[in-house]
Amino acid sequence: MRLTPKQARLGREGSAAQRKALQLLVALGDLYEAERLVPVTSAHVSGASYKLIGDAGVEFLEDFAKDARVAVPTTVNPLGTDLQQWRELGIPEAFAEHQARVARAYEAMGARPVYSCTPYLLGVRPGLGEHVAWSESNAVCFANSVLGARTNREGGPSALAAAIVGATPDYGLHRDAGRQPTIVFDVRTKLEGIGFSLLGLLAGKDTGDGLPYFRGFRASEEDLKWLGAAVASSGSVGMFHLERVTPEWRRARTRGLPKVVVTARDLKEVQKHYTDGEEADLIALGSPQLSGDELRAIAALVDRSPPRIPVWVFTSRAVREACPGAVASIERCGGRVLADTCLEVTLLEHRFHTVATPSGKGAYYLPSLCGQKVILDDIETLLERYA
Amino acid sequence: MRLPARRISPGRADGKALVSPVPFSFVGGADPSKGTVLDESTGCRGEPLAGRVFAFPQGKGSTVGSYAIYGLAKRGIGPAALLNERAEAIVAAGAILGGVPMVDRVDLGAFVTGDRVIVDADRGRVDLPEVTPRPVVSAFLRNRGRFLVLRRSDRVGSFRGRWSAVSGYLEGREDPRDRAAQEIREETQAKGARFRKAADPLYTRDGATAFIVHPFLFDVPSRRVTLDWENLEHRWIAPSELATLDAVPRLGIVLDRLLHG
Repeated sequence: MRLTPKQARLGREGSAAQRKALQLLVALGDLYEAERLVPVTSAHVSGASYKLIGDAGVEFLEDFAKDARVAVPTTVNPLGTDLQQWRELGIPEAFAEHQARVARAYEAMGARPVYSCTPYLLGVRPGLGEHVAWSESNAVCFANSVLGARTNREGGPSALAAAIVGATPDYGLHRDAGRQPTIVFDVRTKLEGIGFSLLGLLAGKDTGDGLPYFRGFRASEEDLKWLGAAVASSGSVGMFHLERVTPEWRRARTRGLPKVVVTARDLKEVQKHYTDGEEADLIALGSPQLSGDELRAIAALVDRSPPRIPVWVFTSRAVREACPGAVASIERCGGRVLADTCLEVTLLEHRFHTVATPSGKGAYYLPSLCGQKVILDDIETLLERYA
Repeated sequence: MRLPARRISPGRADGKALVSPVPFSFVGGADPSKGTVLDESTGCRGEPLAGRVFAFPQGKGSTVGSYAIYGLAKRGIGPAALLNERAEAIVAAGAILGGVPMVDRVDLGAFVTGDRVIVDADRGRVDLPEVTPRPVVSAFLRNRGRFLVLRRSDRVGSFRGRWSAVSGYLEGREDPRDRAAQEIREETQAKGARFRKAADPLYTRDGATAFIVHPFLFDVPSRRVTLDWENLEHRWIAPSELATLDAVPRLGIVLDRLLHG
């Protein structure tokens, strides 16, 4: 891999963290046969939930934060709990303390104190063709597919290294050739509600580490968020095209690709496959965090038909603070609106056994990351069932 | 013996090999405070990592594995070096963050647990000072979908009594394909053998000897063979039967590379 004189100088004369970060990017670049590092305009770093990164992660981040400083605007993935409400949630004190140390380490490095899996809902919206280095698979999928920005599915360490150097190895989804589809999904049913999540779960499994091209439906930005989150969970997918909707669909070459026809029955099967619980003790909304519009819509639904089991709603701190009315409605019926954390990275296994959720991504990860059984269904159906 | 390798993380280390034949995750696979292997499927459970050249095909599992490698290295209970067949980002990132020398693109068949191994990532090479390389050919004959295997006699130098393909030592600078053709004539007297395919060499160990096996596939027009002193008996088998035989190490991989490589 060839470095620019400035990058090479960073490798020689930079701080310990800069040298280490550059070394990491060069090693990964060589591994994936990149020829250079491409400058990025933002970084989004995963690896902030203490539940997932454990003591090894805390230790590394605190050591690294001694002299690491980010060189581009950097956001961080959700924490393992809401640090403003952890006592009420029954989170052990030691857990909250470790979690706070993780947040402090990232903030010391200069990251925005925003712990969200939806940076694209918080004003970080790279434009068409703009290179970024994001981890968090749903955000990667949204950036590439919906915004037309360019990022690989970075891991926590590689996204952090890119944040510090301000560049990332130029391979995969950064290159035109890496953005071509490998499989076509011909959708022959009307998609609504969790339909987008179900399609994503189905397509991710069939796509593996390829790139899906969808056709046969229209979708709003919010629909694409749920589709992307699910497809990036069940598959190693970092981007999709949707005919006549996403910005790069015209460049996609689909001739000769394998084609999968998706019917309403297929989606019903997916829902059945991911539903293994019988009685839920929690309704959870998030994964990814809800937008302001979504939060208000949920508040209205909950207000109309208050559920008899707890409802936890995950959103960003900014959205929570911007929607006090919606938060009050949800809290009035015993629900909670949690910020800076998200569904499967949060600690909930200390209290619950079966989670009902409309999130495909949540349904995918809740069994392995939280030891939960799952009921995957539309929120309207769930509220009716648990009224 | 010296093997070329690709540098992933810089540095040089000298240690005893610890070899896992299966992919490894440092999250759950290694004890973070003791630095021992926990994963049963590696065949190395309980072994300490400190001072070892830890070899496994590739990383797997949680991306937190990078931090786990860092933690072990910081405590001085991590491996002296890492060696993979195909590096992936999790272990590669951990090696860099932890300052652990690491190389990939080496054939794990060349290593057994306990070997002295010197990993020189900066020069892109791995030395096994106590191991002697020995290049050999391994030629499968094929006739109507079946493959010839031979049981080695008590008079050959290695793997006596085990099933193998036609095989022999390479001498000096001779062409492996010529050697394969000659061994076929000597060991089977098969007529009209036609070369079909060669595959990349792979390593297999017998004590302090590392055989560098050059795989070949030849088609023969008939199943008539006449054995010489090197083999006791022969069979024409389907590829699926190979697993049921007491065969020389990695013979299944030799055939697999010829058929699917």
